[in-house]
Amino acid sequence: MIELSHVSKRFGEETAVDDISLRVAKGKFCALVGTSGCGKSTTLRMINRLIEHSEGDILLDGQAIEVYDPVKLRRRIGYVIQHTGLFPHWSVARNIGLVPRLLKWSAADVQTRVEELMDLLGLPVGEFAHKYPHQLSGGQAQRVGVARALAADPDILLMDEPFGALDPITREKLQDELAKLQARLHKTVVFVTHDMDEALKLADHLVVMREGRIVQQGTPLALLQHPSDPFVESMLGGLERGLKQAALTRVKDHMTSMGPTLPAQSRIPSDFSLRQALSMMLRDHSDRLTVVDQHDVPIGELSLRRIIKEAQLDKGSARE
Amino acid sequence: MSNSLGAARQRQQSSPWLWPLIWGALLLISVVAMASAEPLFRWIEPDARQVIYGRADFYVLLGRHLLVVGIAALVTIIIGVLAGIAVTRERGGDFLPLVGQLASLGQTFPPVAVLALAVPVLGFGTLPIIVALMLYGLLPIVRNTLTGLQEVDPDIKTAAHAMGMTAVQTLRQVELPLAAPIILAGIRTSVTINIATAALGATVGASNLGDPIISGIVNGNMAYVIQGALTIALLALTVDSLFEVLQRQLRSRLSTS
Repeated sequence: MIELSHVSKRFGEETAVDDISLRVAKGKFCALVGTSGCGKSTTLRMINRLIEHSEGDILLDGQAIEVYDPVKLRRRIGYVIQHTGLFPHWSVARNIGLVPRLLKWSAADVQTRVEELMDLLGLPVGEFAHKYPHQLSGGQAQRVGVARALAADPDILLMDEPFGALDPITREKLQDELAKLQARLHKTVVFVTHDMDEALKLADHLVVMREGRIVQQGTPLALLQHPSDPFVESMLGGLERGLKQAALTRVKDHMTSMGPTLPAQSRIPSDFSLRQALSMMLRDHSDRLTVVDQHDVPIGELSLRRIIKEAQLDKGSARE
Repeated sequence: MSNSLGAARQRQQSSPWLWPLIWGALLLISVVAMASAEPLFRWIEPDARQVIYGRADFYVLLGRHLLVVGIAALVTIIIGVLAGIAVTRERGGDFLPLVGQLASLGQTFPPVAVLALAVPVLGFGTLPIIVALMLYGLLPIVRNTLTGLQEVDPDIKTAAHAMGMTAVQTLRQVELPLAAPIILAGIRTSVTINIATAALGATVGASNLGDPIISGIVNGNMAYVIQGALTIALLALTVDSLFEVLQRQLRSRLSTS
């Protein structure tokens, strides 16, 4: 668990982070979102003491971070940065094994762990272990970066715009993989990004920052339903907000049982989002979809009227 | 395909040693067989009483020359690299401009002037020339060490720091290996320049390959001058081509498997 209470950071006269309080429960994914210079990266770097905070308390598992030796602390916290920071003179395998070697694991243990991680991140050992960073594509290099961060199996993972330098297709792919990875590994993640879609897609807890302060925090759905001010609303995409909210809701949570009428022609898998359902309705000129399970067997239906009604219900329940 | 690639690689691997071998062989021949080249030098200086420099054997002169340059290089490398490291650390940052200026100053000072100033203090012989060479050779090493260390990508240093490497581990495992090609280039410049500059030592009684040159100038004997200059040139070429091989190996180790 990570807990920040009334934390500030001043660089001389300038206040980079101003009295922020934030709590990330164990195994949760927290995204810090904001425009550049809002203090989100500084906040991240204070957690592993790359930057020392000026005021307030930062607690890891209830223990103030000043208690830990900074070097030992960092070896317990995974860290991923935008341009990977891989060592260009080391092979992929050696890069991944860095922290285990710092922790003096035996050579055999390091090798086993490196192969395990390369497997986990979809980097075939035979093909990639002996390659050097300059021989990798951007996406591959960032997979290595993530593998390096996970190498010593840290509880906490800090990610500073890890996918910011990738092309949109690779970025989306890595986001999906990270989501899957997180569903399996349950790390406590703090993820910095300026891409709201990325944050909405990945986060359990969303923190919107502006000029060193937290403007609003909560679950993605709560923020979408009740943005606290025009800034948060514009960050969340203004008019697109409805669609972003629909993107967070699964079809299976809103389908109804099959009616007496003929099933609709268009079929949608039950784990798709309402946004995808809406898109399909527009494409097929249909206000009804047949919901199918993973074996393409119809299990229910979804109507446009239902989607709109559910959105109203959500709004009502979130207010209470 | 793989065959032709293999052959290409083999060519690449066998060729770097070619030039050091050629220059080294020529140097060896010139040192050992200088005496037997008398007819050639007689043709240059038909009237001189003696046409082969004979006060000391050429291999002895070569040995002393190497010793002087070697000692100066060793000390310069240690001082230069350590100074470069020290001022690129967070704590030594205040001294960075000072060290840069001092090193530049060393090179703007002509070695002859250093010799003239050093002799009254250190006496005649080998010591003043070693001091002069040290001052003169320091700049390329300090400058390249600074450049090499400063050019290491900040993201890489941040990553090393954030992964929990100590400052010493980062320096030894990341910064120095990445800066090594540039530092080595500085050492190469420094040593090559100093092989030529060391000949000045002959003017203050440090016997080396500069002796035949100085003696030739004093006695108006061009043959002597050519013998000294030729041997020094071959030595410089040999050492320089050795550095070339070293640099190439370092680069290939850094960039590919």
